[in-house]
Amino acid sequence: MKLKNNFALKLLAGVVFVMAALSVIVSIIGYYLFTRSIVHQYSNSAWNTARTAAIYVVPGLVVNPRYDVREWQARSNMVHREWQRLANTQNASLIYVFRAYGENYQDIEFFTNVAGPNFPSEVFPDGYKIQQKDQRYLHAFKKIYEEGQERVEIEVYRAPSPEFPSGNHITVMIPFKDNMTGEILAIIAVEREMEELDNVRHGYLRHVLATTAILLVFVIFLYGLYLKRNLIAPIRKIAGEALRFAYENKKPDIPLQSEIKTQDEVGQLALTIDTMESDILNYVENLTRVTKEKEQIKAELNVATQIQADMLPRKFPPFPERNEFEIYASMNPAKEVGGDFYDFFFIDPDHLALVIADVSGKGVPAALFMVISKTLIKNRAQMGGTPAEILHDVNNQLCEGNEADLFVTVWLGILEISTGHLISANAGHEYPALKRVGGKFEIVKAKHSPAVATMEGIKFKNAELDLGPGDLLYVYTDGVAEATNSQEELYGTDRMIEDLNKNLDADPEELLINMKREVDNFTGDAPQFDDITMLGIKISLHNS
Amino acid sequence: MLFDKSENGEVLTLTLDKKLTAVTAGELEKDLIEKLAGVKSFTVDMSRLVYVSSAGLRVLLNAQKYMNKTNGSMIVKNAVPEVMKIFETTGFNEILNVKNS
Repeated sequence: MKLKNNFALKLLAGVVFVMAALSVIVSIIGYYLFTRSIVHQYSNSAWNTARTAAIYVVPGLVVNPRYDVREWQARSNMVHREWQRLANTQNASLIYVFRAYGENYQDIEFFTNVAGPNFPSEVFPDGYKIQQKDQRYLHAFKKIYEEGQERVEIEVYRAPSPEFPSGNHITVMIPFKDNMTGEILAIIAVEREMEELDNVRHGYLRHVLATTAILLVFVIFLYGLYLKRNLIAPIRKIAGEALRFAYENKKPDIPLQSEIKTQDEVGQLALTIDTMESDILNYVENLTRVTKEKEQIKAELNVATQIQADMLPRKFPPFPERNEFEIYASMNPAKEVGGDFYDFFFIDPDHLALVIADVSGKGVPAALFMVISKTLIKNRAQMGGTPAEILHDVNNQLCEGNEADLFVTVWLGILEISTGHLISANAGHEYPALKRVGGKFEIVKAKHSPAVATMEGIKFKNAELDLGPGDLLYVYTDGVAEATNSQEELYGTDRMIEDLNKNLDADPEELLINMKREVDNFTGDAPQFDDITMLGIKISLHNS
Repeated sequence: MLFDKSENGEVLTLTLDKKLTAVTAGELEKDLIEKLAGVKSFTVDMSRLVYVSSAGLRVLLNAQKYMNKTNGSMIVKNAVPEVMKIFETTGFNEILNVKNS
């Protein structure tokens, strides 16, 4: 496994980063507070020194001009002596008294000062005057003179240099006031080296860092162990199992649940993977079975389609020995098996029965009903009678036990070949179209009855028509008239008549092939949603 | 399609729209069996229906047969001319009680 892809390392890196950041923050805060506390101690020490130093100062010492030089000198010598002792015992590096005046208090006059034992620089002679430019000092003077503060501190942090031999130091200043008037006569300042500060602070830092580092290593080690035990190992196991399943698609030897028993998210994940695996296996098994069954049904449907197709006369010309007429018919089911059918057969040598029908609905139920209807019509027709009588009997038979409540629209015609006399009955079917010789196709409307098998006892009506040589009769199902294109437009009988009239000289076969093409052109890529069935018969011209 | 049944459950109005094809007829048949229970007066409003297939006619026929059997009444109203033509062609105007306003 590549390092950067390692889940455990990512988690650990995150923890290390957070802990290190936390340690740094804690160290910085600790370092600051620790420094403050040390500086405070130095400050207090310097302050106490300053207050002690103030005891020896009298107003006469800090005035200029001096009125009595001799007395002043005696006082000054005493102050020097006492302060030197103070500086030596209190570790002060400088004790001095001065006044600040002028604009922004930048003019300084030193009255007296002493240097501590370890302070190598020179001290100013008494009465020495300088200009103070350092803003920190000017600011401090202002606090004393104007704001009446009794204690002002200035901290300086730097490394000792030849120019400034003192390193980190703190200066504490207190005002010296006239006892009577309270006027601030001078400022007494004590400078204290913070010689131990750096050592102590560095020591603190070293300790904290070392402790943190050791703690960090320890925590990382423990946390790593914890992660590995409770997270990494189970997740690796789950990942491994998922990978195995993806390749093998088989049941695991040991389910994850029996190895990972925690109730947390990892446990849930393990449970989910187990469930998912068994679900997928079941699903695949079902799918395989269903697919197999579907294949089987499809194969059976193919056989059914074949059987249905075989039931319709499909050999053309069907009666080669008869030259009195030409006949052609076609059926294109919308699904594998359709509900439409056509039929033609001789009842006797002079009477030809023509049938076109459409069972309500589609698919297998419609196909089964079609088989019964077709058989009953043919059997009943061959027993003789007019189309109305035939349909009446067929209707009553079909109504018996028609639990599925299917029905069938039928156009049944019986043509007397010798005379061209056609008797037909229309049970809810589309009107035929007729082209007289030399003329155009027109819809022939005749009396209508309800579809067959709708209700028992329906009386059907016969219509009569005489066909002459060259006349062509075209019957069809609603799959033609009601073909629909992708814009939801109906093909319609008007368009049908128009297209029929493009084929005035065609024989029935050519006409039907052309009409199927016209319908297909119209519907375009819209799916065919009803069976398309047509039958055409033309009386031969030499038939008289 | 939209069913509107009265509070006492005896009057049911069905409003059909678009096309009643083999697919929609199958759905309608399933719903209709449930909805027709206990109905005495059933009205089918076809003002928004433009086409009925043979499968659709079958469902209407079944509804008519059911209403006949339970001594209820069924009225088909507001059929547009295209649908009316289908009823006439198939002879359904003689089986169904088609009323046009």
